[in-house]
Amino acid sequence: MVLIWVCLHVVANSVEAEPQASDKSPLAVQIGSTRSLNGTAGDYVTITAQIRNTTSRPIDKVTTYLSLADEETKLPVDLEDWSAEKGLFIETIDAGQTLPLQWKIHFVKPGAYSLIVVAEAAGNDVPQTSTITRFYVKPKHNLNPGHVLPVALGMPVVLLFIMVIVTYKRNSKVA
Amino acid sequence: MFRYIWIKEMKGELFTWKSTLWLIISSLLLSFTSYSFLTNKELCLLDQTEMLWLLGEIIVGTGLLIVAIDASSTVTGELENETVESLFLSPMTLCDFVLGKFLACLTLWGFIFIVSVPYMLVTSAGSRLGSAFISYVFLLGTLVVIGFILLVFTLSFLYRSSKNTLTTSLIILMALAVPAVFSSTLKNNPFGWLLSKVNPVDNAFSALDNVLVDGQTALSQNWPFLLPLLIFCLLMLAFMAYSVRCFSSEGIIRNE
Repeated sequence: MVLIWVCLHVVANSVEAEPQASDKSPLAVQIGSTRSLNGTAGDYVTITAQIRNTTSRPIDKVTTYLSLADEETKLPVDLEDWSAEKGLFIETIDAGQTLPLQWKIHFVKPGAYSLIVVAEAAGNDVPQTSTITRFYVKPKHNLNPGHVLPVALGMPVVLLFIMVIVTYKRNSKVA
Repeated sequence: MFRYIWIKEMKGELFTWKSTLWLIISSLLLSFTSYSFLTNKELCLLDQTEMLWLLGEIIVGTGLLIVAIDASSTVTGELENETVESLFLSPMTLCDFVLGKFLACLTLWGFIFIVSVPYMLVTSAGSRLGSAFISYVFLLGTLVVIGFILLVFTLSFLYRSSKNTLTTSLIILMALAVPAVFSSTLKNNPFGWLLSKVNPVDNAFSALDNVLVDGQTALSQNWPFLLPLLIFCLLMLAFMAYSVRCFSSEGIIRNE
């Protein structure tokens, strides 16, 4: 009798565990931009991605966002300055439906970075991630520092020179 | 007759090294700003159009500040030093006096603009916005400066005290300039929107944004910003006419 009860308990536990195993990938996220998003610091680039409901039922309340990491420091990057659109919220994705995602990001600092798109569905403990996109941000060459220096230094000097002449002329007139 | 007042004021402004020091300090401010914009690691990440917009705001802001301070003492100085009585003994009308002082203050803005032209040229190099940048800074700066000089003159004739006029003018300038640099999200509510529509400094800065960042360089595309500026100037002219009328009815020496 005890053996039967133990067998039934084991079977019941395995039945309960099954939905967790089949629930692992209801969403598929794919970055549509080129695998390499190279650019120069200061550039604005658009990251496009797609999210697909792979199940046969609609999925509600899906939040998608970017996760950016610095490849050199191995630290996540704060997107405060990089992107105005931090997260994109989708109310419902119908069964089998594919929706486009788009983020505009501003390359702030030169370096090597890795980017993934993360999708979280309400009630699902496991987030879905895209494949990693690696890109390199080149340092920005200044616009025309060679031209600004003569003006930045020259204008106050020219004004000072004019001021000295005016004062000298006034003093000689008075004398 | 107003020419004599204008030339006298200009001579007073430019014939001593102390009185032209502000022009050199303005030039140093523009030198530091434009050099930082083009060479600083963080600042040079700005789009060139945004850089021009910020520089335009600094030029107009500096012009407004200097003109407000100068205009605060130009009329009241004559009243406080009691030199206005000898001026009115000459065949000169109150209109000549006001016009001469007004042109002298406006000339200061002209000097600031001339000094800022090389900076505008060097920062706008390669953007194809150079001529639009210089023209609109001149147009918008002149309109907002005219309105502000008239406002300060109104206060001068009402207060007859340079200290009170200067304090009130600077507070009004701050009250107009601070909301003008708020982000657009703060202007989304009805009060913020209304404030930005009637604020002349905000209209000048928004017009610069429209021209430089959004590329709307035609005059017809900037009427929504230019019209409130023109109304501000006309309103200030009416206020000044009223204060001059009060001044002439009360007489030079007010019985208090």
